[in-house]
Amino acid sequence: MPNAMIQVNHLTKVFYDKKRGKVTAVNDVNFCCHKGKIFGLLGPNGAGKTTTLRILATMMTPTAGKVLVNGYHVVKAAHKVRQSIGFLSGETGLYDRFTSRETVRFFGKINGLSEQGISKRMTQIFQTLGMTHFQDVRVDRLSTGMKQKLSIARAIIHDPPVLIFDEPTVGLDVITARAVIETIREFRNQGKCIIFSTHQMHEAEKLCDEIAIIHLGKLLSVGTLVDLKKRFPVGDLEEIFFKLINNRE
Amino acid sequence: MNWKKVLLIYCKEIMGAIRDRRTLISMIVIPLFFYPLLFLGIGYFTLMGQEKSEALPSLVAVVGTDNTPRLIEKLEQDEKIKLVHLKENEVEALEAGEIYLLIEIPESFDIEKDQENYLTIIVQYNSTIQRSQIARKRVTTVIEDYRQQMIQERLEQIGIDLDYIQPIQEEWLDVALEERKIGTILGMILPYIIIILIFVGAMHSAVDITAGEKERGTMATLLVSQLSRLEIVLGKYFTVMTISATSMLLGLIGLSIAFLTPVYALGELSLIKAKFSLSLFFLFFLVLAPLVGLASAILLLIGIFARNSKEASTYVTPIYMSAIFLGMISLSQGMELAEPMFFIPILNNSFTFKELLMGTVYWKHLVSTLISNIVITLLALLTAAKLFKKESVLFRS
Repeated sequence: MPNAMIQVNHLTKVFYDKKRGKVTAVNDVNFCCHKGKIFGLLGPNGAGKTTTLRILATMMTPTAGKVLVNGYHVVKAAHKVRQSIGFLSGETGLYDRFTSRETVRFFGKINGLSEQGISKRMTQIFQTLGMTHFQDVRVDRLSTGMKQKLSIARAIIHDPPVLIFDEPTVGLDVITARAVIETIREFRNQGKCIIFSTHQMHEAEKLCDEIAIIHLGKLLSVGTLVDLKKRFPVGDLEEIFFKLINNRE
Repeated sequence: MNWKKVLLIYCKEIMGAIRDRRTLISMIVIPLFFYPLLFLGIGYFTLMGQEKSEALPSLVAVVGTDNTPRLIEKLEQDEKIKLVHLKENEVEALEAGEIYLLIEIPESFDIEKDQENYLTIIVQYNSTIQRSQIARKRVTTVIEDYRQQMIQERLEQIGIDLDYIQPIQEEWLDVALEERKIGTILGMILPYIIIILIFVGAMHSAVDITAGEKERGTMATLLVSQLSRLEIVLGKYFTVMTISATSMLLGLIGLSIAFLTPVYALGELSLIKAKFSLSLFFLFFLVLAPLVGLASAILLLIGIFARNSKEASTYVTPIYMSAIFLGMISLSQGMELAEPMFFIPILNNSFTFKELLMGTVYWKHLVSTLISNIVITLLALLTAAKLFKKESVLFRS
């Protein structure tokens, strides 16, 4: 697959829950994400979006299937995968006692960047994201929007080719959410492969080059917005989404 | 494994700890100020109470016949004894603490004249009242003096010298070296105090940088970075060790200040007099460093396993109590451990440390202590790194 930065083949993830027993969180899912494209994982809560993204980020191992990120196997070459990705989710918190600059510098060093390289890249990122005015403020004094910008800066300091964003606009006000969306667009323009999960239709509609609708661990449909509309001529993305979910249930 | 990355994590954690008021309180304020103040407070009030009790005259009531006039006279002559005359309810007065001692002289015969007989004086006291204990001591001395005087008089009357009935007299001389005396006192309390200091110092930071990080969501940020699980564990482990060792050293400094004050009068023991050589300090290090390492590794493991700080604190409590229990065994004087017992962590540290303080080096015990501590620490660290890979531990909620 040309330009395929993420290849997910027959991915299955099974959990064993004390109360529920065997739970199939992701069930035989297949998709590809390409360089310079935004791929949206659309689904309600509990659909399997976060689990899929955690597997891509090497935080979880698949029960079955093969997942390659930037050509590296997520289990066999987990370290190489982590070099290739920038991961952001509600779980990836920030250190309250550090300033924005200290946070980004720390992650730059962890990712093997030189002091000079970090300074150069940090200046560039802080300017692009409009973070310069709070770069020396401690994280515990930042607003939610500022923190989200810092999280993005932290995730991209090593300039990874693949960006994995799990619901990056959740809990943000309209203005900050819009700024985040714009930033994601900018990353696409830089040629990065972006996969992001959301349950907000308008966000997916506006931003994604390709959309995968996922529900109860199953991938119901995948394609461009135009493809989906052709396949399911029921109206906008929201209508398509509900039609697919209702059919499944 | 990249040691530079371990150092990065270590520096990050230390920086975070320095900026965290709670860690600073548990690492610096409590050991350096709180413990000494606590001990000074306890010592001061005990001393004050004792001094006050010693200064007060003992209120003693005498009931019964007046056939021991010289005893009564001796009691009256003692400045620290004040005889009181109660007409009734003497026992109730003693129980209530209104008098401190009750002497009953039975109505039988005149002991001063009837030299063939003996007299049993009943002295009642209240062991729960310190002043009664002091009165007992004072009255015992007076009675003993009276007894000796009477013995001498009786013997003189039949022409026998007092030495005749005391053919042997003993004189006790302590040959223990000053260092060893100090070592015995320190050996009893110091291992126990050090165990507490190490655990208290390590507890907060171990929980904060593991379970606390999970709670704040920063652990996942580390896990998706280019760090191996072992690098993360080691960076955090060395942080907990540093904080725990700092807390222990500051605690020892604080307690030394407290114990050298006039309140404890341990200053007279002159700890400086104890000839702690450089090699002995190295041996102390050999015993204490593995203990710091062991406590840090176990507490870190618990923190990683726990869902959140609250759960971690619950798991840490029995570990802390067990450590205190093992440390308390060293408080008992005369207790000796069998060789295999030197493989029990904490217990072996406290006993080996005790031996060193008393000036004896048992290499066998030192080696057993080192081996058991290192093996358990390594196991705890490897388990911690393994737990970091377990989804069931990382993502359970």
